[in-house]
Amino acid sequence: MQNTWVGRQPARALLVLWLVAGVAAVAAVGATARTTSASTVDLKFQVWSYSIPTIQSNIKRFQTLYPGVKVNLSDTSWFDYHDVMATKFTGGSAPDIAYSSDHWLREWVAANWIAPLDKYFPQFKQYQKEWAPYAREGMTLDGHLYGLPYYADLIDFLYNADQVKQAGFNGAPKTWDDVRKISLALKQKNIVQYPLNIPLKKDDPWLIEIFYAMVYGNGGHMFDKNDNPVFNKPGSAAEKMLQWLQNARTKWKILDPAGPESAEPDVVKTMGGGHSTFTVLAKYNLAELNLGQHKEAGHFKLALMPGTTHSTVGFVRFYAMTANASKRGSDVTKSVGKFLQYFGGKTGGKYAVEKRWALEKGLGFANLPLYNDPQIKKAINKWGSVPLEQSQAKLAHVKEGLTPFWGVWDISAREQLDKAILGQESPRAALKNMADRWNQLKKQYKR
Amino acid sequence: MATSNAAAHRARVRPRRPGGRIAARLYAWGTLTPVLVFVALFTLFPFFYALVTSLHRYVLTIPGKPYVGLGNYRTALSDAMVHSSARTSLIFIAAAVPLVTVLGLGVAVLLNQRVKGFGILLVLVLLPWSVPTVSAGIMWRLLLHGDFGAIDGFLYRFHAIDSYVQWLSGSKLALMSVILVHAWREFPLPVILFLAGLQTIPPELTEAARLDRASAWQRFRWVTLPLLKAPLLIVLVYETIVAISVFDVVYVLTGGGPGSATTLYSWYTYTVTFKFLDLGMGAAMSFLMAAVLFVFILLYMRIVRLREAEA
Amino acid sequence: MSRRSWWHTALLALAGVVLALVILVPFGFAVSASLQTESQLIERPPPLVPPSPTIDNYRYVFTGQVPEAYKQRALLRGSVTQEARVLPKGLRNSFLVALGVVLVNLTFGTLASYTFARQRFRGKQAAFGFILASRLLPTMAVAIPIFEILRQLDLLDSKLGLVAIYSAFTLPFTIWVLTLYFRSLPPEMEEAARVDGCTRFGALRYVALPLAAPGLAAVGAFSFLFSYSEFLFALFTTSTTHAKTIPVMISAISVNPDASYTLVAVGIVMSIAAPVLFALVFRRYITSGLVASLTRR
Repeated sequence: MQNTWVGRQPARALLVLWLVAGVAAVAAVGATARTTSASTVDLKFQVWSYSIPTIQSNIKRFQTLYPGVKVNLSDTSWFDYHDVMATKFTGGSAPDIAYSSDHWLREWVAANWIAPLDKYFPQFKQYQKEWAPYAREGMTLDGHLYGLPYYADLIDFLYNADQVKQAGFNGAPKTWDDVRKISLALKQKNIVQYPLNIPLKKDDPWLIEIFYAMVYGNGGHMFDKNDNPVFNKPGSAAEKMLQWLQNARTKWKILDPAGPESAEPDVVKTMGGGHSTFTVLAKYNLAELNLGQHKEAGHFKLALMPGTTHSTVGFVRFYAMTANASKRGSDVTKSVGKFLQYFGGKTGGKYAVEKRWALEKGLGFANLPLYNDPQIKKAINKWGSVPLEQSQAKLAHVKEGLTPFWGVWDISAREQLDKAILGQESPRAALKNMADRWNQLKKQYKR
Repeated sequence: MATSNAAAHRARVRPRRPGGRIAARLYAWGTLTPVLVFVALFTLFPFFYALVTSLHRYVLTIPGKPYVGLGNYRTALSDAMVHSSARTSLIFIAAAVPLVTVLGLGVAVLLNQRVKGFGILLVLVLLPWSVPTVSAGIMWRLLLHGDFGAIDGFLYRFHAIDSYVQWLSGSKLALMSVILVHAWREFPLPVILFLAGLQTIPPELTEAARLDRASAWQRFRWVTLPLLKAPLLIVLVYETIVAISVFDVVYVLTGGGPGSATTLYSWYTYTVTFKFLDLGMGAAMSFLMAAVLFVFILLYMRIVRLREAEA
Repeated sequence: MSRRSWWHTALLALAGVVLALVILVPFGFAVSASLQTESQLIERPPPLVPPSPTIDNYRYVFTGQVPEAYKQRALLRGSVTQEARVLPKGLRNSFLVALGVVLVNLTFGTLASYTFARQRFRGKQAAFGFILASRLLPTMAVAIPIFEILRQLDLLDSKLGLVAIYSAFTLPFTIWVLTLYFRSLPPEMEEAARVDGCTRFGALRYVALPLAAPGLAAVGAFSFLFSYSEFLFALFTTSTTHAKTIPVMISAISVNPDASYTLVAVGIVMSIAAPVLFALVFRRYITSGLVASLTRR
């Protein structure tokens, strides 16, 4: 146990080792330097890190179809996507095509990061009539179209039908009070300790959409037509829902207290393990719950969003052409058009890529005619229900209040929702703080 | 070996040229320039860039970049979230620094005992510090999670708890968990410093105290501890600096939640910069943090110099 | 040294065992989790030891062969995220970047430190102070401008860009430690060599360097561990598997809805294996380097 410098001989050998290794490293770095050829059009395509190999295989198919275009793929974690993209756009390293989302459409348009597609590719307008309304609205701003769909989905109420039956109930809960009753029974019969499970982790972007969906389900609104908050009105649907969630956590103890440390995957795994019964999540999770490797796999069902109107949030994630690409000349924009056509539109009369996502990953789609595809029907019915999905889709709406600063407001809003649910703040105070922040941002962005 | 080396290479030796002074200066600056250029490029330029940014209203998603003087600093100093995150940081520092120090001292004293097999512990003690914080954090999240965490599983299996505990979901518990994970990663460094200090204490000193029938605590308190003053001060200041700027642990463990329970000042600076995209305010907050850091670093330098004088 | 009573020794041994457990159990858990299927991990309570350990998860990462347990599926999605397959690339990137940084530190750092330690010239204090003071900058403040610099140099999303950033961050520390180290060496031999006509570089190369080898190993180890683990800059400046380092990759995988936690555990094990081995091999240098840098002289 001595702490002295060791002998010189081995140290010297190590030093040589260091140098050799270092030279090798630099050589390797040099050797892997990228090469580009001049004759093809290079497109930079930016996505969030989900199923990269599938995307790459789609790219490969696209490049076989259009040999003159080369697509270079980059990806960033979904949690950091908004932040990293902002850095790229303003830092001058914008891609040509990027995933975007209805959340950010206004922000990206206002900052002049993405270009209106209808200006360059008027033919894309024809797709609009086949899209679900929430998807169309999510990609349209001031009459201009800004994207073609990557996928579109719903925030849905999912439950473990087996456990509900064990608790002595038939069928899905219709209101949040039903959820409370069944949950208390589940608790009492020792089937599940905390039946309701919602991801409340602060950095998980889903919470705000889930809360919107719960408010919509009761016929409520978050913002009025002029993007002024209405959630903060005393007695609003939002306040009632938030109060219900606070009670669920602190009074009835039916809401999983681990929510604040759970992101979407944590909730899915906990549900799959049979430790929770109800959740509100994007629909594609139902595919994972029923077909994935879970103890309770096969027991999960979709139900209309509890409440009075059973309305919910429909959302869309889409491919956008960046302003950067539109400035690179007609060769590039033409290639972007081909890309968008292949990835978000029809090729040979078929939605090739969107269908693939639906079949292989269970992602929802914007193009409603796909529901008539027997392959799709069969695939969805393996883990869900086409009729139920369709009736919920009819009740779905785009998120309200999507202003350029919505994404920034969302960060503070999630924090306030967390505090109210944990019982650190009254729902009214939390909603007031959310509204204050909204108005502060509104002022800041007006300047 | 060195001598023989020098002798062996005497063949290469050249007679000294006149004008060696200029050559010396050339050599000196020749060796320094690459480093200076490098460091200047990646610190001096960014420093002034950030300083200028902090004096402008610069929000990435709002066009325009008007000069606002000290406006961002004023906003930061009056912002409620800045206050609350500074408070959380203070609690974090007040808990983490003593914890890491005491832990480090305790383990160092333990490892300084001559017990068979302790050699292996000395090897192990570095491990938490050597792995990426991100990996350690994700590992701890899987251990602590309130729905399926291994720690809860273990306690539950042996009936130490009736139901799973949410280590990262209660406001106080979450901050405590973050502090503990931080301490787990940070304690090896103080151990090494204290151990080095302990080994410079001549055994005769403690032996003499023992003969005077001093208890183990008395020997530690009156003989060992005074001699560890310098490493102790260094550990305290160094760990404070680390605690002020901690980031990765929060990123992977809690994301600053629940609510704002683990939103430390450094984390809030990150949020303002990269999530609110308010670069002006973020830069102002960074400089406020730098001012505090600077005080501690000056303190640190003084202590190190003090130690130099003692040696 | 006088004899300890047996219970005293037992107490110490107990404390030692507790310490070893606190250090090793988290690592042990990660290894154990990487050898199971996810449904076992989610059980309440999970098994203490994997009932039927399997290396399927590792095989998947390296060969793409989907583990048996996940095969009965109609969809391709689910607990075997394809992103895990790129982990080996991240590991390689982390390694290359870290070695590049080590190389920069050992060459330029050594040259500069020796000059600082042995030569007297005007501007020396200022230069030394400048290099050390550059450590004071909070990284958060310089993140955006550094992004800007990399873009100008066309080094975004490249290993070389990371090497540059990390070198700038590690060089001050390296120079501090090595300057102290060179100063602690007896100057007589170098002086003798100089009198004999040896150049300054010659004195460094043939006399001082061999003596300072342990110090070099220490700063090498530090710059390696720092560069291997750094997260914030790697997150913001890299965007493809061409340059993404392992911390960036596993942090993304850990929030991927398709990632089973057993695969996340594989990621953790893969990312900590190298630094753990490294810490074991270079323990002495790291230890003495730390002591020297933070307290000595």
